[in-house]
Order: sequence, then C-alpha cells, then structure tokens
Amino acid sequence: MAKKLKQIAIYGKGGIGKSTTTSNISAALAEAGYKVMQFGADPKADSTNTLRGGEYIPSVLDLLAERRRVDAYEAIFEGFGGIYCVEAGGPQPGVGCAGRGIITAVELLKQQRVFEELDLDIVIYDVLGDVVCGGFAVPVREGIAEHVFTVSSSDFMAIYAANNLFRGIERFSNSGGALLGGIIANSINTDFQREIIDDFAARTDTPIVQYVPRSLTVTQAELSGRTTIEAAPQSAQADVYRQLARRIAEHTDSKVPTPLNPTQLREWSARWADHLVAAEQAEAERSRQVA
Amino acid sequence: MTLNLKTSSVETREQRLGTIIGWDGTATQLADESAFSRGDCGGCGGKARRICELEGPFTQGSVCSEQMVECQAGNIRDAVLIQHSPIGCGAGQVIYNSIYRNGLAMRGLPVQNIRFISTNLRERDMVYGGADKLAFAIKAAVERHAPKAVFIATSCASGIIGDDVESVARAAEAEFGIPIIPLHCEGFKSKHWSTGFDATQHGILRQIVRKNPEKRQDDLINVINLWGTDVFTPMLGELGLRVNYVVDMATVEQLAQMSEARATVSFCYTLGTYLATALEQEFGVQQIKAPQPYAFAGTDAWLRELARVTGREQQAEDYIAREHARVKPLIAELRPKLKGLKGYVATGSAYSHGLIGVLREIGVEVDGSLVFHHDPVYDSEDPRQDSLGHLVETYGDVKHFTVGNRQQYQFYNLLQRVKPDFIIIRHNGLAPLAARLGIPAIPLGDEHHALGYQGMVNLGESILAALQHRKFHQDIAKRVSLPYKQSWLAEPDPFALSRGATA
Repeated sequence: MAKKLKQIAIYGKGGIGKSTTTSNISAALAEAGYKVMQFGADPKADSTNTLRGGEYIPSVLDLLAERRRVDAYEAIFEGFGGIYCVEAGGPQPGVGCAGRGIITAVELLKQQRVFEELDLDIVIYDVLGDVVCGGFAVPVREGIAEHVFTVSSSDFMAIYAANNLFRGIERFSNSGGALLGGIIANSINTDFQREIIDDFAARTDTPIVQYVPRSLTVTQAELSGRTTIEAAPQSAQADVYRQLARRIAEHTDSKVPTPLNPTQLREWSARWADHLVAAEQAEAERSRQVA
Repeated sequence: MTLNLKTSSVETREQRLGTIIGWDGTATQLADESAFSRGDCGGCGGKARRICELEGPFTQGSVCSEQMVECQAGNIRDAVLIQHSPIGCGAGQVIYNSIYRNGLAMRGLPVQNIRFISTNLRERDMVYGGADKLAFAIKAAVERHAPKAVFIATSCASGIIGDDVESVARAAEAEFGIPIIPLHCEGFKSKHWSTGFDATQHGILRQIVRKNPEKRQDDLINVINLWGTDVFTPMLGELGLRVNYVVDMATVEQLAQMSEARATVSFCYTLGTYLATALEQEFGVQQIKAPQPYAFAGTDAWLRELARVTGREQQAEDYIAREHARVKPLIAELRPKLKGLKGYVATGSAYSHGLIGVLREIGVEVDGSLVFHHDPVYDSEDPRQDSLGHLVETYGDVKHFTVGNRQQYQFYNLLQRVKPDFIIIRHNGLAPLAARLGIPAIPLGDEHHALGYQGMVNLGESILAALQHRKFHQDIAKRVSLPYKQSWLAEPDPFALSRGATA
C-alpha cells in the first residue's frame, strides 16, 4: 500500500458541536474524493448519525457484548458519500467504564487490520468531551492519530476543556503521541467572541484552523438527519466546512502545544471576565443615556 | 489468516481460533465440529469457526491469563517480570517460585529465585494513574538485577484505567538500552487463560527475537516447552540436531536466536501454536506440522516430518527402528499388568490428545477426558496439526470427551460417569477431589514424562506406582464427604446447570 493513511482526532467539550463539525468535515472530504472513515468514540454512539440520515448504527461494543467472536467489519456501515461509519459505543450513563470501551474498540479494529485493508485516506476520530481518563487518551496515544484538532467556542468552559486537552497532548507528545493541529473555532459570530478565542490561541501558540459561524442552516440540516454538506450544499456554511476540510486534508505539521497552567488560565479568564463586565456596563450606561 | 504482530496486544484465542470452554460429547463429534482444523471448512470463511458452546451459570474458580505470563515471562533466567497490578496478582509468586526452582534443578541449571516486582497499585494509583510507579519499578529492576530484558505484565486494574504502559516502556527502553516489553494480559480480556501464553510470546516476538538474523543455525531446533526434564536433547541428538528450549528457563539470548533456527517444535500445540506459527510467518523458521510426539504413531510421524524438514531421513529411520525394538518388549511387559485398568485424563487441551494415545497404546482403557478448553484450529490452520483428529483416527473415539474450565462441582460428576481407576493431571485442584472419591492421581509436573517412545514406558510405570496407594485413597473416600447437596451428587449430567442456563 503506497499511500499513507492520515489519522485525525477531534476533541472538545461536550455539546460544543464536535460531531456536527466532524461529520461535515467527513462529508466534505468524501465529496472531494477521499476515502474516509469516521470513528465515533463516545458512548452515546451518535457521532455518525447525520451521515446516515439520522439513523443509529450498532456499535463495536454492542457486537462484542452479543457475541463470542467479532468480525470488525460487521461494525462498519456506509454513510453519505461512501464514508465508513463506525461507533465505538459504550455503557449506559452511570455504569461500567466508557474509557475501557474505547480501548477495546480501537484495539479490535487495529488487530483486524481494518484501517489497512480498507485502503483509507483519512480516519477521523470524534472523541467525547474532556480527556477524563486513560481510555479517552487512546486515540492520541501510541501513534493512532497523528493530528489533533479541538473544537472550541469562545465560552470559558469550552476553552478550559481545550486547554486540558493540550495538557494531555503535551504529556504524550514525547512518547510518539499525536500532536496538535489547531483550534476549530466554532459558533464565532461576533468580533468579541473572535477576540477571546484569538487571544487564547495566541497565548498557547496554537493556530486557528477555521472560524465557523453559528448558523441555522446547520440546525436545519441536523434536524433532517443530514450534514450541511448534504442538505444545503450551496450554502455559505457548506463552503466554510469545505474550506475547513481542505485545510485539514492539506495539514501536515502539528506541534507540541503550550497549555496555560491552572493559575495562568484563571488569571486569563478573570481578565476577560472583567473586560466583559466593563463592556456590558458601558453598554448599559449608553442605553440609559439614550433613554 | 496471518498473525498481526504490529499491535501491542495479542488477539485473544477466542477471536483467532474460536476457542470454547464448555462442551460435552464424544471426541469424534468434537473433531467433526472442529472441521476447520481438518481442512474442509467449505464456504464458511475464516471468521466462522464456531462450535456450539455450553455456558454455565457460574464459575467456581479459574485461572488468569496473567498467571500464564508469570509462568513464562517470569521464568526467563536473565530477565525480570514486573507485575503492574495490585499486590493480589502477586499471590502466585510463591508457587511459581517453587516450580521454577524445581525446573532449574531438573534441567541441571543454577537454581535461583524468580525475579518479580509488583508495582502494588493502590487506590491512589487507580485515581491518579500508575505510570510513575511503573517507571520507578523498571528502574529498580534494572538496578537490582541488571537484567537483559524487563517484562511488564499488565493487570485488570491497569487495563481499566488505561495506564499508558507502552509509553513508559518505550522511554525506559531508550534510557536503559534493553528490551522493556509490555505484555497485555488483562484477565478480563479472554475467557481462557491460554491467551496469556500468546501474550508472552507476542511480546517476545515483537521485542526480543532478532529481526534480521545474520546467520542461520541449520541444526538448531526451537523446542517450546515448560519446565520438563531434558528429553529432547538426546532424542534430537540422534538426528544431529541441537535444542533451543524456549520460553521457560531460557536466556534472553536464547529467545533472540529463535529466528536463526531451522525449525520449531513443541510438546503441546496449546502452548506452542502462536510462537511457532509466528516464527514461520515472520522469519521462515519452519513449524513442524505433524501429530504431537506421543505414542508410536504420533512420535513416528513427528520424527519423520522433522527429519524431512531438516533433511535427516535416514538418521530418523534408524532411530525409529532402534527405539521400536527397544521399547516394544518393555511395553509388552507392562500391558498385562495394566490390563483392565481405566484411566481418566484431565489436562490442557492438546496435551490430553497426546496422553490418551499413550494410554491406549499401553492397553489402558480411556472412555473419558476433561480438557480445560478447546481450540477448533491452531494458528497454522494446517490439518496435519489436528491433534484431536489424529487421536480419534488412530486410537478410536473417546465416549465422554468434555471441555470445561476445571470446575470442581462438575469434576465430581465427570468422574462418577466414568469411574476411572486413576486420573492423570498437571494442574492443582483436581487431585483432592479425586482422592475424596477414592481415585489416585498421577501428577505430571514434568510435562515430558509421557513424551516419545520412552514416555509410554514412563507413564505405564507411573500408573503402577500410583495404584500402589489406591487403598489409601479408598480409605479417604470412606471417611470424607463432598460439600454438595444430594440432588447434585445424584445428577448424572455434569452440565445439567449449563443446559438449564442455556435453554
């Protein structure tokens, strides 16, 4: 096999739009002719829904729970544009160990040489929220994914999660782990939001790969069980995702991140909070004067 | 299907071979259901090795894959084994130390203690991760023992928290300049402990065996075994071949040179299947594909195949003829003394196939056997290695052939069904129950005892010796009772509970 498989992991705080972003990247890459696999590493097993018309697929761990021997191919389903959709799956909330689930699922696919045999160009791992335990670090460890991108809005909680991820990557970086590709800045509609995320990026010396505005087109597409690329291919938002996908496909050099330590992060967010409060007060003052 | 040595952890037996741990029927039926190994799987494909399995509602006791790592990787003379686990996983160190020391003594090697270090994972480590402790343990191992390699046995605990054992090992390898080998043997991963053998061998293949051997040692044969006495050196010496015993009690260098050898053999395909197949796949070291070397038929065929592969046919034929002439009168003497006796074999899977052949050859009746698991096929997928098929084709059927992972409550019914005069075992926990039923046990701690031509004589003599104390066992039986309810003691079907649970 001559071509080199590119493996990418996308992390970010829960609810920040990771699966939406990931699925649109996958769809845009498939549209551009790449052979793509999207691997959902979240016990909710809903990463690939919008690639399959809103439908859930049986997960690797569902299969493992049912049978004695598992053929990994039984957990691979075709989605929009021929994308190979896989969900690691995992336990119900509050029971078992979701992190172990990811270890088990990734190991099974590796052992059965699925990535090689499908002759893929790109595998994208869509990984749940925070790197809370060893299991969630598996996609960035042991040379599985080479590049990590984080989806973050300008909310402090999302930025904290991104910073935590940077710490995880920094930790594994000297032992063959993945490196940081950059930030996908999501739901960025105002200059102010952009300033915050830009400032965090500058402080951590991290490139912003793409600004993705919040858009109703995305919501509409999601509600119809599709990606924006599929549901509104002519929209401006679809072009944003296409540009993002192109940048990711062309991306070659990732680096060791320089996260903020807890004190720095606290001071940084406190300063922005003061700034926000001052701005809000000025706004309120202006409204009163107008009245 | 090729073995995948690229991933750090080995594929389990059930994934690779369709291994089962619960089954009851005749040996012929089981051999037929394992049709894949007989080369006539038809269109069912590589992933379809399924035999209908009986599943019990509970397990009374079992063994862990990690223990198989302890008794293999832990017995390499110039290496250290780190158990990255809570201290309880180290409970077997005492018994494994005694086995190791006995083995060294039997083999005429300097007697020493096992060199194990436990990272003693505790509550705090489960929460914060045990990687630092592991790094510290590796450093301690290097400083204390100056080993040629360090093995790391993972545990359920380290596996659940996802400790990054690989990274720690890589960093230590760079620092100390010796192989540091993680062996992924979490007990929960596989339903049968023999996956632990494969985990050890996988690690050795990945990190110790010389990748690009500069020379070939054309008269060197890898012999995969445990602690047994050295019966292979004289036997292979007859063919002008040298023995490289692996894995137990080998040195790191002896493991490294496996890729230079001419061929690989083993006393038991359960133990040797992964290593032997991988050595052939990766380095072209031929695996001998023949019945195992037990009784006349098996030993003849095995020697002839080894001779064919190594180009020593004439020496082999001479040796075979000499041994037949030497051993046949001895067996003729034993046969009348053993006439009318019934034996029961309760051992590892492929090993039992060999032993039953030996018993039948010396005139002992066998209508029951318990094997602790069953591999429908070995990694080579070569029908010439179909050890169960060889047994039934050469020596006939075994009426009550049972696959079960050594459950005490079942062992009672199994023995009642057959009522043997003695049992042959290699594992603990079986002899006490048999003794309470008045049945003496022959423990083959030396796994080579019944191997080859002399093995038939050895086993015959051991049976006669064991029967000398039959009266002692009958006395025990008269005075003790079993802790089971009358309803279970009267139950004719050892799998009654499983059938209830399965239905």
